[in-house]
This record gives sequence, structure tokens and C-alpha cells, in this order.
Amino acid sequence: MMMTMKVFQTPARHGYAVEASPFLPSRAACAASQFYGITGSGSLLVLDQTDTGVVLVRSWAWGDGLFDVAWSEANEHVLVAGGGDGSLQLWDTANQHAPLRVAKEHTQEVYAVDWSQTRGENLIVSGSWDGTARVWDLTLSASLSTLRGHEGVVYSTIWSPHIPACFASASGDGTLRIWDVKAAACRLAIPAHKAEILSCDWCKYDQNIVATGSVDCSVCVWDLRNVRQPVSQLLGHTYAIRRVKFSPFSQTVLASCSYDFSVRFWDFSRKQPLLDSVEHHSEFVCGLDFNLHVPNQVLDCSWDETVKIYSPACLSAGTNTAAP
Amino acid sequence: MNRLKIISGHLCPGGTSSELRRDLRSSEAGSAARGSGEEVVVVHGRRTAIGKAKRGGFKDATPDELLSAVMTAVLTDVGLKPDKLGDICVGNVLQPGAGVLMARVAHFLSGFPETVPVYTVNRQCSSGLQAILNIAGTIRSGTIDLGLACGVESMSLRSMTDPGDLSSSLTENPKARDCLVPMGITSENVAERYGVSREKQDAFAVSSQNKAARAQNSGRFDPEIVPVTVRFLDDTGAERQVTVSKDEGVRPGTTLAGLSKLRPAFKPDGTTTAGNSSQVSDGAAAVLLGRRSAVEALGLPVLGVLRSSAVVGVPPDVMGIGPAFAIPEALWRAGLSVDDVDVFEINEAFASQAVYCVEKLGIPPEKVNPNGGAIALGHPLGCTGARQVVTLLNELRRRGQRAYGVVSMCIGTGMGAAAVFEYLGP
Repeated sequence: MMMTMKVFQTPARHGYAVEASPFLPSRAACAASQFYGITGSGSLLVLDQTDTGVVLVRSWAWGDGLFDVAWSEANEHVLVAGGGDGSLQLWDTANQHAPLRVAKEHTQEVYAVDWSQTRGENLIVSGSWDGTARVWDLTLSASLSTLRGHEGVVYSTIWSPHIPACFASASGDGTLRIWDVKAAACRLAIPAHKAEILSCDWCKYDQNIVATGSVDCSVCVWDLRNVRQPVSQLLGHTYAIRRVKFSPFSQTVLASCSYDFSVRFWDFSRKQPLLDSVEHHSEFVCGLDFNLHVPNQVLDCSWDETVKIYSPACLSAGTNTAAP
Repeated sequence: MNRLKIISGHLCPGGTSSELRRDLRSSEAGSAARGSGEEVVVVHGRRTAIGKAKRGGFKDATPDELLSAVMTAVLTDVGLKPDKLGDICVGNVLQPGAGVLMARVAHFLSGFPETVPVYTVNRQCSSGLQAILNIAGTIRSGTIDLGLACGVESMSLRSMTDPGDLSSSLTENPKARDCLVPMGITSENVAERYGVSREKQDAFAVSSQNKAARAQNSGRFDPEIVPVTVRFLDDTGAERQVTVSKDEGVRPGTTLAGLSKLRPAFKPDGTTTAGNSSQVSDGAAAVLLGRRSAVEALGLPVLGVLRSSAVVGVPPDVMGIGPAFAIPEALWRAGLSVDDVDVFEINEAFASQAVYCVEKLGIPPEKVNPNGGAIALGHPLGCTGARQVVTLLNELRRRGQRAYGVVSMCIGTGMGAAAVFEYLGP
């Protein structure tokens, strides 16, 4: 079966993050930056898939690079982005001019934002190169909590989909940390890699499983009940792993994207865990997400100025075999 | 923070951004942040000359005498009163119980007050380094501000023959059984398993001898050696006093042709000879360590900073490969790579294992033991690690530039130890 691919061009904007809407099956947001995010301004794009392609619904400019974006879990129009100026901005698709609110407490680049999904909770977490994670309420007024402990820059902060007020963070100090926001304390510090960790994500089906992606080119899957050894070590990427995401549809399937230009799909329960390697970008692949509404549909974005939406054959096949 | 630098670090870890990684790692390595007063620093170190066991100048000297000479010299040199010491740790291998009694006797022979405690440590050939790491750990924990780490061995008076009391069931456990493999055979195992030829071993040995001879002739060791005057019984049994101030194992005229004539020492078809193995020796060394803030408050000099350390296990029957595993671990903990280090002091237990480790890690030969190693100088077991640290920091100071150095050695029963030091410049 031919894999159909939808492509959106982001001229002069290099993609850092792409996130599918939790409300609308066809909607996605992309955080992108000018000049590879090294200098210059940023853009936040809201995109809709059509039958034939991808169209721009809304775009906002920001004075500094934008590195991550997350959709509100409470309101389909609202999203939050994190920027190189240390700010978080709350945006509303109904308001095309300015953000609803800007919160600037981080002293360095914000590289991660996430909106909590657990019932009865509506919190934002951000991770920054200033070494801290901060927790905010949905209005993005003064931060509720600042979590310190990492000895390096924080690259990734992700809420647990199961445990209230709990998030994981990945850092340049080589540790994965698990935080309890209610106690404002770090519950676990796992020396997960002997190199910087750029990304982490929670399994959607098992509250104890977390994956990490590192500069050492490996993805490790951890069971938080026993962190002496990873449950699985996924090898194959040839450069640093930029982002990891668990599938919303399968307990043991995850995806990773890398500086090696590839996106790889894994089933860590298998002896040969690599399902497929998709090499359709010509630059670093920094953004990656699964569509919650369309099983096995994947979105990614790259420094090659494209957002791509596709359903990899390895996931669509009922048996998850890598063969077409 | 520079975004380009961070992204480069993702692509080339340890390369362009090694400085950053070092900063990130420092706390993980258990050492304090750079430049903070919490760092563990080396203030000063001295050693005795290394005597040839059973024949040399120290053959009738007791280890407490050798130890006392260096303990006294280190404190006298920097003008520190011994009651400022929070603890003393002495590395030793062959004395009963690692020489606890001998160490306390040396302590009193040095005129140290009874209020200062002393203990000993035995981690075989790394004991002298382990003493340094133990004192460093005690400083880092906040228990003490200053401590003296020493190493001493008299291989003239004690030999390595008594294995102690062991379970008969060790024969059923291959790894346990391998712990009894003689050291020379572990060298043969390394040479065979990793293909280190006799020629390579002999060439390494000649190089060690030549470098040591050059260092000795140019007086490079003079600042680190404490001349010691001891009792000596000559061939007639008459007693006299001798002063030993030069390493006795150095053979300036060593040639490859000469070494290649030597017979294998441990098995008939082997490649390990007396000429390409470390020498059996007597000697002592002492290193004064302190918390940087305390050291500076007392107006003491800072010779070097302990950046990281590692001890790792390897198979007992090829124990010589230890440095090949310990050095990368210690470098990683310091956030450094081989390229960042100017001098490696790797103990030459045997040329076989030293060659293997150097080649395995891709260390440029000119960075290894620039003033020779145990093949030329000798290997007084418990002393060696402390001796290497003294020699390393002396060499870095002689070069006069800020630089990193590594001390490493293999350890009998299958381990390797390594430590990274930084000389901060004149």
C-alpha cells in the first residue's frame, strides 16, 4: 500500500515541534523558528488537514524563536508555546493579533511546554535551559511552583497521563527525573544515559513506563519501579535523538526522531524492536506527534522547512510487521 | 546561553561543547562545582626514591621508616602543623592487615600527635590512589578539611605468597578460581587474548627505560624525591648507613636487542619477561589533600584539583585490562575525553597490559608515562598510586600550563582504577 503523505511548507521557518489537537482530528500546531532557532524570530502555526493537503488556519509571529507548543486539554482554541526569550505565551485561535497572556519567569530558553491531561487538573509545565521546571495554572498567571534539582539544562517536561500532579523531565545532566508537584519535590532521579537526554515521554497504558531519548543515540524504556536497568534499549539512530513519543494506540509502540534526519518506529516488546525507519526529511527532525483521532497517523516537522503528516505502513499493518 | 553551542553539543558530545558537558557533569561526578571552595585539591606531594627489593638501598629498611620520611617531608615543605590533619590514610598491600600497626608507628616516628587518627587501605596495586580517594571522600563529605594520603611498600621484607584463608569451594566458581591466577599469567592471558606481541611489549619497555633515564639525568625527579638515610647490611653483614635519593631500577643502556634475549618469566612459550614487567621494589609516597576553601584560608598552595575518579571491575584472569575500562569512566565523570588530557600515568604492571590499554583507548604514546613507568622505576605495590600522582602533578607543573592528567592502574583480582587531576597553571 502506498503511504499517502501530506506536506506543509514553512518557508524560512525551521520546525521545532508539531502537536496534534486533542479536540479536532484534522488540526495541528507547529512551533518553528527563523535561522534554525539560533537567532531571529519564531512562528506559531495552526494547520488543518484537508482531503488533499494541509492548509494554514492561523499564524502568529513572536520576537524570539519558538521551541515547543502544547494544546489546551480544556479548550480546543487555546494553546501554549515556549520561546527563546524565556517566555510562555498563551494563544487563542479566535484572536489573531496577540497572545492572551505572556509569562516570563524563566531566565533562559523555554524548550518544553506540556498541558496536563489528568482529570480535574488543568496545569501547564515548562522546562527551561535555566535548569528549572515551572508549573502554571491555565491562565498563565504567576507560576505556582518552581522545581529545582537538575544540574543541567531541562529539555523536556511531560505530565504523567495517569498520576495527578506528576511529571517527568529530561535534562542535559543525563538524568530523567520524576516530580511530585503537590510536594514540590523530585521523587526519582534516574541517571538514564551517560549523555544529555533531550526528550522523554510516558506510556499511555502503563503508569510506570517512561521512555528517554539521548545524545548517545539510544532510546531507553524505563520501568519506574526498577530503574537499575532499562526495560529496553532501542539502538539504531546514528545521531542524537531529539524527541520520543509513545503511541496512543499501542502499549509498546513508540516513535523517535533524530538529528540523523530519520523518524523511527519501535515496538519495545519485540526481540527486533525496530519496526521501520522513515527517512523523508533532509534536515534534523525535531517535532513528532501521533494523531489521537486517526489511528497510526503521525505528524513530524524538520529544519528542512516542512511539516509532514502520514501513516507509516509499519503501524497500519495489523500485525505491526515491518514488511510492507 | 549560546544556542549554537548547545546544539553542537547534541551533534558532537564531548567535542565542541566539552566545556559545557564538564560543567553539567561536575556535580554528578560527586565533585563540587568548578571554582567553588568545595573542591578537593592536592596541596603537595613527595615520595622516596624507589629501591630495588632485596638488593637495593632500602632492602633492610622497614616500611614505617620510609613512610615517616615522606609524611614528615610533605608537612615540613608547606609548613603545616600535623595537628591540622583531620585524618591520615595509608595504602599498603603486603604488611599484615595492610599495615595498621606499621602506619601508626610511622605516624609517631614522624612526630605527629596522638590526637590525629590514621588508618590503612588495601586495594592491591591501587592502594596508594585509593588512600587519596578515601581522604578526598572524607573531605567531600564535610567530615574533615585536610588529610594526608600515603602509600608504602617494602617488597624486600614481605612477599606476595600467602593467599590467606579461602574456601575450598572456590575451585567450583570459575571467577573465584581466576583470582588465584598468578599475575604473570594474567599478563600472558592479556598478550594472547588481545594479540600483544613480544616485540610490542619489549619496545614499550625500552621506551619506559629511556624516558626514565632521561628524566633522571635531567633531574626531573629531584623535586619529588625525599632522600632517606637508612640502615644497610652489606655482603659481609656489616651495617652502615646509606642515603637513597635516586630511583634504582632505571637502566639507561637498555636496548631492544638486549630485552629480546630475555627468557619468558612465567611460561616457556610466553612473552612476558623480567625486562618487560614491573620491578619488585620498596618505596613510599605522601600527598596532602584539602578542601579548597580550607587550603586557601591557611595560605597553602594548590598543586592540582581532583576532578573525578572511578574504580571498575574486569575479569580476574585478564586483570591488566583494568585501565582500559576505568579511564573512560573517570573521564566521563569529569566530562572530558582522551584528547583533553595531556599526561596519562598508567602503571606498567606489565608491558602487555599497558600496551593493550593505551592502544584500546587510542592514547597518543607521547602522552603516556612521559618520565617512564614501573618497568623502569619499579612498582612498590601499595605506594605506586600515590607515587604516580606525585610524578604526574610534578610533570604538569614542570610544563607550566593549565592541563589535565590521569593516573590509572590495573588491580589484581580484576579491577581498574583511574583519577583525573587538573593542574591549574602557575
